[in-house]
Amino acid sequence: MAHRIVGKPIGRLDGIEKVSGEARYSGDVTLPGLVWGKALRSPLPHARILRIDTSKAKVLAGVLAVLTARDLPNILVGRRMFDMPLLARDRVRFIGERVAVVAALDPDIAEEALALIDVEYEDLPAVFDPVEAIKDGAPILHENPGAYDGAPPERPHPNVQSVLRFKLGDVEAGFRAADQVFEHTFRTQLDHQGYLEPHAGVVGIDEDGRVQVWASNKMPFRLKELLSQALQLPPAQIRVNLTPIGGDFGGKGSVMDLPLAYHLARATGRPVKMVMRYTEELMAGNPRHPAVITLRTGVSKDGRIVARRVKALFNSGAYAAFKPAPSVNLGGAGMGAGVYRIPHLLIESFCVYSNNIPCGHARSPGEPQMVFAGESHMDMIARELSLDPAEFRRRNLLRDGDLLANGHHLEHVRASETLEAALKASHWSEPKPGRWIGRGAAMTHRHIGVGFTNARLRLETDGRVTVLMALPDTGTGAHLVLRQVVAEVLGLLLDEVEIEVATTDDFTTDSGVGGSRVTHTGGRAAYHAAEKLKEQIQAEAAKLGEPASSLSAIAQAAAREGRTLEASHFYDAKAHGAVTSFTAQVAEVAVDPATGQVTVRHFTTAHDVGTIINPIGHQGQIEGGLIQGLGFALMEEMKTEDGQISTLSLGDFKIPTIQDIPPLTTVLLEDAVGPGPFNAKAIGEGSISAVAPAIANAVADACGVRILDLPITAEKVYFALRAQERQS
Amino acid sequence: MNAFEYRAPQGLDEALAVLREHGEDARVVAGGTALVTMMRQHLVRPGCLVSLRDVQGLNRIEATNGALRLGALVTHREAEVSPLVRERLPVLAETFRRVATVRIRHMATIGGALAHADPNQDPPVTLLALGARVEIRGARGHRELPLGEFFSDYYETALEPGELVTAVTVPLLPVASGATFLKFLPRTADDYATVAVAAIVTLEPDGERCREARIALGSVGVTPLRAREAEALLAGERLSESLLRAAGEAVKGRVDPLSDHRGSAAYKREMTGVMVGRALTQAWDAARRSAG
Amino acid sequence: MTRVIRLIVNGTSHEVEIPTYRTLLDCLRYDLGLTGSKEGCGVGVCGACTVLLDGKMISSCIALAVFADGHAVTTVEGLAEDERLHPVQQAFMDAGGFQCGICTPGQVVSAKALLDAIPDPSDAQIREWMVGNLCRCTGYYKIVESIRAAAERSRA
Repeated sequence: MAHRIVGKPIGRLDGIEKVSGEARYSGDVTLPGLVWGKALRSPLPHARILRIDTSKAKVLAGVLAVLTARDLPNILVGRRMFDMPLLARDRVRFIGERVAVVAALDPDIAEEALALIDVEYEDLPAVFDPVEAIKDGAPILHENPGAYDGAPPERPHPNVQSVLRFKLGDVEAGFRAADQVFEHTFRTQLDHQGYLEPHAGVVGIDEDGRVQVWASNKMPFRLKELLSQALQLPPAQIRVNLTPIGGDFGGKGSVMDLPLAYHLARATGRPVKMVMRYTEELMAGNPRHPAVITLRTGVSKDGRIVARRVKALFNSGAYAAFKPAPSVNLGGAGMGAGVYRIPHLLIESFCVYSNNIPCGHARSPGEPQMVFAGESHMDMIARELSLDPAEFRRRNLLRDGDLLANGHHLEHVRASETLEAALKASHWSEPKPGRWIGRGAAMTHRHIGVGFTNARLRLETDGRVTVLMALPDTGTGAHLVLRQVVAEVLGLLLDEVEIEVATTDDFTTDSGVGGSRVTHTGGRAAYHAAEKLKEQIQAEAAKLGEPASSLSAIAQAAAREGRTLEASHFYDAKAHGAVTSFTAQVAEVAVDPATGQVTVRHFTTAHDVGTIINPIGHQGQIEGGLIQGLGFALMEEMKTEDGQISTLSLGDFKIPTIQDIPPLTTVLLEDAVGPGPFNAKAIGEGSISAVAPAIANAVADACGVRILDLPITAEKVYFALRAQERQS
Repeated sequence: MNAFEYRAPQGLDEALAVLREHGEDARVVAGGTALVTMMRQHLVRPGCLVSLRDVQGLNRIEATNGALRLGALVTHREAEVSPLVRERLPVLAETFRRVATVRIRHMATIGGALAHADPNQDPPVTLLALGARVEIRGARGHRELPLGEFFSDYYETALEPGELVTAVTVPLLPVASGATFLKFLPRTADDYATVAVAAIVTLEPDGERCREARIALGSVGVTPLRAREAEALLAGERLSESLLRAAGEAVKGRVDPLSDHRGSAAYKREMTGVMVGRALTQAWDAARRSAG
Repeated sequence: MTRVIRLIVNGTSHEVEIPTYRTLLDCLRYDLGLTGSKEGCGVGVCGACTVLLDGKMISSCIALAVFADGHAVTTVEGLAEDERLHPVQQAFMDAGGFQCGICTPGQVVSAKALLDAIPDPSDAQIREWMVGNLCRCTGYYKIVESIRAAAERSRA
């Protein structure tokens, strides 16, 4: 069905502030009398704090306040499980944990003051590896984690934060029925989300005691709730003012430094800005969980998967505080089943404490790790069965009506079509142009996110419509999508619809941005509000005898009677629908046998999508996610040893540059069956997870080397090639 | 950063006088790309910064007797795009082009790069192969050192307190020479080299035998290095693929790299062999083309 | 220790007294209120802080403000002329060359500097020039398209 505005490739008309430098992110906000806060961080991974002497720091010219845990109420913060102190009280549990904060006239003076704070520590035994952390006798980080607010009850070991299971059938019976069983273990690395805007926030306290917050946080209502808990203030006393966010990718949902900024604001009587240096992000910024994943799969003689058991250990670091899911685990663990029908399945995902940087959510939490493992595993099994990897997948793909381990039934399943589209577009079956060139495929799927959003539409007297929403702009182009939806419903030009970004005072709640939900929840809220407004307009038009299209006349007539035409809608997508979105990707790589260097010659990405509301924005999400996947596959790694991260700048922690992107072919299979407005689905997290296994599979195809741990570096391939030569 | 006094002398003598006055508490800054970064990370905390940015006369690129002379304040970008450098020593212009990004190259100076003495930098590798000499001014007056004697250790040079690099003189290539600079970047395009090699091959008049080979290595030791054993292997020999590979292998045995984020010591050692072989092959081809 | 410096920013002369340790970026953002240039990595790698110093693009987060004393600085705020966007800015909007926008000021300043230096750049030249402008949102494909489009439009 053709629409007027939905589906049109409209550029980022909402972006004039971004290209002109006028957009004000939270780090750009300033208030009269603003001062700067900085945090002192622990240099040790596990230690008792014996003594903190702040006397020299307090008297440095330009310093207004120095606070330690003694100056703060004894509160623990978190997103779901509240196990993290604002400032370490008598113990530090990771290198980078905050120990003190300073407020000063500028950030340089604040940092100089940090150097004058004297802390005496006593080392405690530490543990860094998640496998070691859950053994008997391992150093224990939290004596009684079960006592923390929000802690899940199951705890096989005190260093386990949470356990999440997915189960179908009887996995042991399934293995007994299988003809062959294969087991492989994979490892993925500590990886930062890589947003270029470090966490930044400003906290000011009004004369009436209201706390004004500007923060790089993508769920302002949840932030308000969390701040209410952290600051021990009624929620009504806090107002979160939304600012555009310089990249989120899952990493900006916590209170981070805001409670400390608040306490500094109280101590100094001035508004306080705290901005993390990128070094601090790389030390303490809630990155993606590293993982150790073992898959065991039983197959029948005819190449069908009969049973699968997955054990995942996610190295969660010193605190569980950054994980938002009720399970305090990573939902992406469910992708251990991949895109396959597996009658007997058991996935166990453990989030484990260790004296490392506490991890959080990153684009598709848990999935890039799990899909790397699962899709590499599939290829390794295919090779053992002497089956083409594509054929092995074909025999096992999900179909309409299948039940997933998370309880979702699937409809409109296009797994097979998506795979075939990727294979065709990548010339899968054609001979490769060289000896050291290989192709690898991988698949994944992702549900459309759920949540709840408010929208309020107002007809202005000039005939334009204002859409008031409290969804922050994290960059996805969602605001433009929402305008397109409203314009489509009301028969307006895009220019005639404007978004007004609300504050947390304007609505009661919103689940915010994340989980690939905004087109769905925000879109539906805006859609239904627009429908309601349309009805009002038609009713008014009938009364006046005006055509329904003379919006300004209708608005002005109402205004003369002291009325404004307004419509609101609260949309709550309570449960995931039966629809998911498949991705199939093919990487074609060249391996330099003398150096092991891997070059991606071409990348193909095929997506089964719903109605595309904005093709430019949609493609932008695909491309952005894909290149993040490429970075995860080939270069990104926060190197850690004994809890010490050595990659503390973007000079050492490398994310892809414009020179690193491969030629790309995108195939879109559009099927108007999504739960979003105009049957849209979701795209934000679809393109990242299958990239690493597609590349790993291509490398194996090119030179026989199977890399089981990310990132796939030239060095790993080189030494594996030499080992392979020695064996042959 | 810490509070510091900032001095911006207009001339070299004034700069040297200020340095004498402040002793160890003073650091010299020109482009600032290394120093300011280190100061922001609290790795260095000078009480006085002596900027050379306004010092006249140190940013010329000149042709002298069979050489090019580049003033210490010539930026990487100026050297990269200089018609004189591109024409007379294209391998040097190409090397400067490989450094970081245009932004860094607009600020970072040659003198600053040499004085910083980071063995992962690119220009010193090619300069070393070309036989560059460093001009120094200080309390002792003028002196000149071959670049091979200038670097002493990781971030350490032969500069005495109060001394400044003022220029670097780079001899032109002999006839029938080919030169190449290889920067091995297996991870990403904007990075320090895992291994860097500058190779120069000069042919005998018969166009078949090697008269002289010069091989310099970067990122595989605490300073840039000349691979003298490999050079000796090639001198006087008829050039062949196997000889060039043997030279690569010879170098491998002699380097003692440090593991870093660009590769382990073992990998860097292996890649030294590969890259020396490749660089020599390219330089040899270029020499043959130039010999006509 | 403070110093009074005079900067000509986007054609306007400013006199400010700043501590010597003030970076050019912090001076622009906090002393002059020009928050368009951003601090990303803080070590001169990501390009979010890109400004032009006497027409040459530099990382302002690792340049001292005193370096710019008496010199001309161009920031993203100075690209538009008389309310009209620079062709690069317009091209980024039309092609979707940005998403979150945090790297965008650096991208457009760098792209403008590229087209000033090389009006008809090849794709290889675009990628080489822009290698120091990191973007985490777009995957770069639309940045290349935007710059290509801006180059074509400028030539037309």
